[in-house]
Amino acid sequence: MLENQSLEPTTNGYKAVGHSVRRTDGAEKVRGEIRYAGDLHLPGMLHARPVLSLYAHARIKKIEVEAALKVPGVVRVVTAAELPLILEASESRKRNPLAKDEVIFYGQPVAVVLGETEAAALDGANLVQVEYEELPAAIDLLLALQPNAPLVRRKEGHGADLEAQIHATIEVKAEKEKAVLPPNVSNHVHFQQGDVEAGFREAAVIVENTFRLPMVHQSYLEPQVVVAAPDPLGGLTVYSSTQAGFSARRDVAAALGLPQNKVKVVSMPVGGGFGGKFGLLEPWAAGLAKLVGRPVKLGYYRMEDLLAANPAPACVIEVKVGARADGTFCALKARLIFDTGIYPGAPVWLAGMLLGSYYRFDNYEIEGLEVLTNRPNSGAYRAPGAAQASFAIESQIDALAHALQRDPLELRLQNCAVEGDLNPSKRPWPRIGLKECLEKLQQHPAWQHRATKGVDQGIGIAVGGWPGGLEPATALCRLDHDGSFTVTTGISDLTGVTTSLQLIAAEVLGLKPEQVTVHNVDTDSAPYAGASGGSKTTLTVGAAVVKAAEDARKQVLEIAAQYLEASPEDLELSEGKVKVKGLPSRSVTLQEIANLSMSFGGRFEPVFGRGSSAITRNAPSFAVHLARVKVDRETGEVKVLGYVAVQDVGFAINPAEVAGQIHGGVTQGLGWALYEQMVYDETGTLLSGSLMDYTLQTAAMVPPIDVQLVEIPAPDGPFGAKGVGEPPIIPGAATIANAIFDAIGVRVTEVPATPERLLKAIWSRQF
Amino acid sequence: MKRTIKLKVNGTTYERAVEPRTLLVHFLRDELGLTGTHIGCDTTQCGACTVIINGQSLKSCTAFAVQMDGAEVLTIEGLAKGEELHPIQTGFWEEHGLQCGFCTPGMILTSYELLQRNPNPTEAEIRKGLEGNLCRCTGYQNIVKAVQHAAQQINNAATESKASPVEAAKVP
Repeated sequence: MLENQSLEPTTNGYKAVGHSVRRTDGAEKVRGEIRYAGDLHLPGMLHARPVLSLYAHARIKKIEVEAALKVPGVVRVVTAAELPLILEASESRKRNPLAKDEVIFYGQPVAVVLGETEAAALDGANLVQVEYEELPAAIDLLLALQPNAPLVRRKEGHGADLEAQIHATIEVKAEKEKAVLPPNVSNHVHFQQGDVEAGFREAAVIVENTFRLPMVHQSYLEPQVVVAAPDPLGGLTVYSSTQAGFSARRDVAAALGLPQNKVKVVSMPVGGGFGGKFGLLEPWAAGLAKLVGRPVKLGYYRMEDLLAANPAPACVIEVKVGARADGTFCALKARLIFDTGIYPGAPVWLAGMLLGSYYRFDNYEIEGLEVLTNRPNSGAYRAPGAAQASFAIESQIDALAHALQRDPLELRLQNCAVEGDLNPSKRPWPRIGLKECLEKLQQHPAWQHRATKGVDQGIGIAVGGWPGGLEPATALCRLDHDGSFTVTTGISDLTGVTTSLQLIAAEVLGLKPEQVTVHNVDTDSAPYAGASGGSKTTLTVGAAVVKAAEDARKQVLEIAAQYLEASPEDLELSEGKVKVKGLPSRSVTLQEIANLSMSFGGRFEPVFGRGSSAITRNAPSFAVHLARVKVDRETGEVKVLGYVAVQDVGFAINPAEVAGQIHGGVTQGLGWALYEQMVYDETGTLLSGSLMDYTLQTAAMVPPIDVQLVEIPAPDGPFGAKGVGEPPIIPGAATIANAIFDAIGVRVTEVPATPERLLKAIWSRQF
Repeated sequence: MKRTIKLKVNGTTYERAVEPRTLLVHFLRDELGLTGTHIGCDTTQCGACTVIINGQSLKSCTAFAVQMDGAEVLTIEGLAKGEELHPIQTGFWEEHGLQCGFCTPGMILTSYELLQRNPNPTEAEIRKGLEGNLCRCTGYQNIVKAVQHAAQQINNAATESKASPVEAAKVP
């Protein structure tokens, strides 16, 4: 049941977009010739190796560096005091890369050794002796929430009043709430409508459960890496595996006190990001390079990346939902508690908002708390907050359907949000494809034949939605002498978006895709583009490319009009030529136009199109998933036998790559459901600190995934396209949990659903 | 104390003095500049550093360079014949068996060994054969298709040239 008919392109007569093409960067990737940041070797480059904390919370008494400095090839050992970063009161790991006086999570970098070779730096790092005085740590999320819990940092830490900073980030409506928030709470959100208690009084059935999700790591295959090189004029070039070049430039400039035009960030090909590479090591590497006046490579090893990057946050979500006898949902009460680690920034607002947004509830009250703990600060991971919210609410909808003895898909159709419904942020949903995705799944053979199943097999479904990110962007489009076009942007390509941009420009210009080259260039040269993330790159940069190509096309026609002595309206551009409509003999090629406009003594202005977008209407995208599982009651093992992913993508610019991205997202969702978790012991030590203990799926662990596309155009998207990346990870945990319930009647409330957890649940029902 | 090794990499013979503790992957990347061999983990799980040693796949982070004295090494850079991609490379490109590309060289070389052993693998055999290589972008769906595509191409070429598929796919 691999995808086939589902990917039949909706080409609408388009010649380039809507047709599957292979990636523009494929050849260099299959040849192993593409260069990632870690492949760079600059003349005079030093290698940096970090020294990591062995405690979750401790005072640093002493750092002994003498032995390390004696290692041949070790150039310098750098601690926080020497790193030339402007700290101010910044609540950010990027600005505080090295612990100062106090370590606040296990694995926190304390010092860094610079060596002429990686081996020398490593030997040096092993010899740095740090003396600690252990302090009480806040590790467990719910214990950290207690009013008397240890503070994650001592108040005098980093020279700022911690509590003042914490409260500054709190969005509380009532003053009195501020007073009662426990000290480690760093954010509080609240969504409310109607009278939730009155709503529950109307309910015929009520289900209440508490759901738990662990911290998981994005597990991009390429660990975080940055090479920073000082230039003789006092500036810096930073080569980074980042998803966010312009933001890295701001970070580095601010941290080093440099004007932004002294910092050039080169976004290198990203070896997987999934949200985790929004900037982490850049100011640190840049500070080291500035300190020693030589290029520095700072890259994490895998174990360091697991310990000291920015994983997705753990959370506990309590949800109570009620429905009337006719199946109408009438009340939702939820409390979400997110573990944000050492700094605020967990997606608690998004999670709370999304949790109440897929269905119409007349009455709801959703409260979200963000809690600081002595664990690494949380970062974005594919649909931050949404995967967590969906696990909770979609498990509960399944439980409601069971309690009401209703078909879970029909119950969702009866209550699902449609255009105009207000979500908890009090904004109306625009046209969304949730209902259409449900209907498409309803017709799918995997759902139609759900009653046919073997022993201990089950079918589960779940919904995931993503509001879609937005950010203004610009793109440029230049005609070249050979009659081809060069499109320039400032994005990082995570998912094949370069190929999509090529197709978009080719479509507008009436050319074959190979006649358009897309360059994603550094921050000195690129027009602005935001970070590649949030499922917004194709939408926003794609829209800019449409306009840039249209602008270039207009300029071409204007030149041709003068040259052919015709009115621009009577001209058409296709197949590399401008022709007078109805008079094919009167034409001029793009090469000729290029030569007329870009040569000594040329008569016309060079063709250089510019296009910008500042889209303000979100293009939300929804997915509905189905899994068929088999549970082994003896071992507790869950085998996923088949999987269907239906998703509204607006318009698939390059359908094969869209399907590929969905495959990857689904797989990561299944990882969260069944395998992945960062396990910390009660002292805050990471127990799953390598890929021996942190389980990533291999090929044999992933089922065939049937991708079904729904295309409800985004009004501002290029050819109607929406972002694709986030939604496919969202429904996974609930889809699997609901399938397990269907198979053996056990409600999974904590993921991953490991054999151990399932066996415990099975046995507790038997005895 | 450095030791001198002599080995053949992608058909070229090298004689180099290496530290006994230098891992093969570091030798290939740092000494020979063959950065297509990637490092994704420290513990031999991810397979991004897979190369072919004397016809067998090996994770180059688990071997020392000094162990390679006299060996024939094939890295991703040695698979294509100049401009002409190897059928496995073509398969990965045509079938969208790659996204970020970081696992790709290791995946391709593991597939190379797999198809040398078994020119007509079933889907299950492909999945099993790739168990030592992690990919986080594709969910392996199109990687399986890429290997199937390659197997088909290799078998077609073998039929045309009346060679065995193993010979047809082999990099000399």
